[in-house]
Amino acid sequence: MLSPVPEPLVRFANVRKSYDGTVDAVSALNLEVARSEFLTLLGPSGSGKTTTLTMLAGFERPTEGRIFVDGEDVTDVPVEKRGIGMVFQNYALFPNMTVAENIAFPLRVRGVSRGEMNSKVMRALSMVRLDGFGDRRPQQLSGGQQQRVAVARALVFEPRLILLDEPLGALDRQLREQMQYELKHLHQRLDVTMVYVTHDQVEAMTMSDRVAVFSTGALRQVDEPRRLYEAPASLFVARFLGESNALPATVRQHDGGSCAAALATGETVTAVMPVRCAPGSAVHLVVRPEKILLGKAAQASPNRFAARIAEVTFLGDQTRLRLVAFGADDFIVKLANTAGQETFAPGTEIDIGWQAEDCRALAE
Amino acid sequence: MPSQSDTPTGWRPRHGVYWLIIMPALAMLVLLYLVPLADVLVTSVTDPKPGLDNFLLLFTSTSVQKTLLTTLRIAALTTFVALLLGYVVAYAMRAANSSQQRLMLFCVLLPFWISVLVRSFAWIALLSSRGPVNAGLMAWGLIDEPLPLVRNETGVLIGMVHVMLPYAVLTLYANMRGIDVRLVAAARSLGASRFQAFRMVFLPLTRPGLIGAGTLVFILSLGFYVTPALLGGGKVLMIAEYVAVQINDTLRWGLGTMLATTLMLSVLAALWALSRVLDVKRLFGA
Amino acid sequence: MNRHHATGIVMAFAWMVLGFLALPAFAVVPISFTDTRYLAMPDEHWSLQHWRAFLSNREWHDSIWQSLWIACVSTLGAVVAGTLCAIGCWRASSRWSERVRTAMILPMAVPTIVYALGIYRLYVDLDLVGSAIGIVFAHTVTGLPYVVLTVSASLANIDPRLEQAARGLGASVGQTLRWVIVPNVVPGILSGAIFAFIHSWDELIVVIFIGGRAFFTLPRRMWDGINDNLDPVIAVVATGMILFTLLVLSAELALRARRPRS
Repeated sequence: MLSPVPEPLVRFANVRKSYDGTVDAVSALNLEVARSEFLTLLGPSGSGKTTTLTMLAGFERPTEGRIFVDGEDVTDVPVEKRGIGMVFQNYALFPNMTVAENIAFPLRVRGVSRGEMNSKVMRALSMVRLDGFGDRRPQQLSGGQQQRVAVARALVFEPRLILLDEPLGALDRQLREQMQYELKHLHQRLDVTMVYVTHDQVEAMTMSDRVAVFSTGALRQVDEPRRLYEAPASLFVARFLGESNALPATVRQHDGGSCAAALATGETVTAVMPVRCAPGSAVHLVVRPEKILLGKAAQASPNRFAARIAEVTFLGDQTRLRLVAFGADDFIVKLANTAGQETFAPGTEIDIGWQAEDCRALAE
Repeated sequence: MPSQSDTPTGWRPRHGVYWLIIMPALAMLVLLYLVPLADVLVTSVTDPKPGLDNFLLLFTSTSVQKTLLTTLRIAALTTFVALLLGYVVAYAMRAANSSQQRLMLFCVLLPFWISVLVRSFAWIALLSSRGPVNAGLMAWGLIDEPLPLVRNETGVLIGMVHVMLPYAVLTLYANMRGIDVRLVAAARSLGASRFQAFRMVFLPLTRPGLIGAGTLVFILSLGFYVTPALLGGGKVLMIAEYVAVQINDTLRWGLGTMLATTLMLSVLAALWALSRVLDVKRLFGA
Repeated sequence: MNRHHATGIVMAFAWMVLGFLALPAFAVVPISFTDTRYLAMPDEHWSLQHWRAFLSNREWHDSIWQSLWIACVSTLGAVVAGTLCAIGCWRASSRWSERVRTAMILPMAVPTIVYALGIYRLYVDLDLVGSAIGIVFAHTVTGLPYVVLTVSASLANIDPRLEQAARGLGASVGQTLRWVIVPNVVPGILSGAIFAFIHSWDELIVVIFIGGRAFFTLPRRMWDGINDNLDPVIAVVATGMILFTLLVLSAELALRARRPRS
């Protein structure tokens, strides 16, 4: 697994961007991208992920702070001098050029000789499995093929860094999943650094070495997908990645990495506390639906409560239960439909519980 | 045809009704427009006697040839200048914010709707030897005596560019608006300088607009009467005025209708050729 | 920065060209107040003498009146025939109706001088030169394209599903026309009417040929005035025509703002 190395390829140092002078589209951004890494910027629309990417590409200049690539300060370097390949949301293939001419474009503007250009274009075409498509017009290709041309065009001049701005957004689900794996394999094969923007958490988890989660202009957390899911540092991250149950509570006492918190209904719960909060402060206790223990299994756990099943939904590989618990009716449990899994009926009273390490106390 | 399959079935049996309501306009067009045009065509090969004698004048008469040359030269120059200025304006309109854009569009549309006669008259007043343009230039000490800006080709060119520019701007602007801005951004990110991105991506994409605007301005310029007649002061004879002179003064119907026919056929041929490249109806679309 | 520099130059140049487009016509306004007897800016003071001359001249009044009623009647003709034609073509929607619509553009494309010769010859045969009905018909037929184009554009904006929805909800053909089609086409009809009106109001070349001795519309009298002697009274008339056009144009802009976008 990759972790930031001492000399990162990309470094955002205290970057702030404001378009109108009053609201920050991105604020106090410090982020590093390691060499050969696949980093995804993830967040809802308006979270600042695209602004971050366009600043790195050079289309926007930070209001404050510096951006370094390969140790060089590129904050004031114009777009075309940055040597960064970019794949756009709707591909932005030039309709006045053939596929081969599109891919040759970055080489042409760099004055590469015709012979070298041809061989590089051929190699790029075969890399994205489009051999023989060079003479077509982009409009004659399917969405997935256009996507591959856009990738080939960004790769062909061997840039030190490739940026991808929601490149799979326009494709249908099946094709999107296929392209995710293709991109991932391309990344592994070429050993190139990629920064990828998406609002789709599954896409981010599938492809990335690390994911940077953004919301309202701020970077919330950067980590490997698994750690991000299992050890979210904030309620936002916990809610944005996957499903979770969040119970409002008040901290009673804390002890190193864990705490005891009281729910509004009076129960006391022990939970992991990644960021220390003073006693008396309000937190949310976050438990993933698939970590809930039911019935007998719950009775052995340190946190054990009474609940009633309100609704049972069968989803194929799993079953989803909605429970009335803790004074509300939106507590979710997910059960994998493995062999021998017992079935439940609505209206049944049942014990629920979880291990202390599966519950995290997070501030807002 | 897709549009036919969209037609709700309830409307189908009434097809005849639609042709009935098309009739008044169609009848007027045929009887009061197409018949007169056909008459011009026929007259050109029958007056004073049947045959192509009138059309031979295109190759033999020096005054006809001089008029044709003047017409082609002025139309070509007008087209060139209108495209050049129009391209810059359309480009700026595309780059401007929406409130600026509205004002710019207003500036383009305003002269469109002021009568050509009024505008030609305004230009005579502005460009005459005692007019404000010459007065201003002399007051600034740029010239010692008035420049001859009117009653010559310069005046005709200024007036014609003024009339034709809105057509050029609107056609080019419609074309440029259809170009995805991200294409230029993509070119920049792939290493093209501003100028390279313009020359290799933007300019080629505006070619249909340039062809459309150029053809439109050129063929409209060919048939111009009022502006060259007034700003040329009788000294710059373009084909339309020459035709009018043949009919009104010398009563040479054969020559007049021959030139009118030539003019009409050239215009329609150019439009037909253009219609193979783009949707001509949009050029005239309001 | 370099980029702002380049954009700034383009913008400045574009505004100069736009000034060249929009401003010159307005030169006639101060000229109409000149105190000289020839076309010039007011020399020592602004004078109303040419406005007075205009107001006391019966010939100009007759011309305005003639232009106005000819434009009104031929606009009415063009609107009725053009709207029916556009709706008919839209509904018939066959290769032939498409050809009709294309043919309707001819009067915009063919140089007016050619038509003027043709209609003059026809009217000589029919003894319609110098007749009101002759001019009205000529202006109606040349005004048709504006109406057909604008109404067709409005019709093209109507989502065919709207009509299907109306029919599906139980509306009859007539009810669908009245409540769904017509309300969506009215702005197009009005725009077309304005264009057809301005077309007739400004038309010069055809009137020169077929106006005879009885019809001196405003453009024709201006034309004669400019060719005879450059009297500043013409600047007064031109000012009036600009004001009138601005009025009509702002009505059209107001309509356009109300017209639903496709």
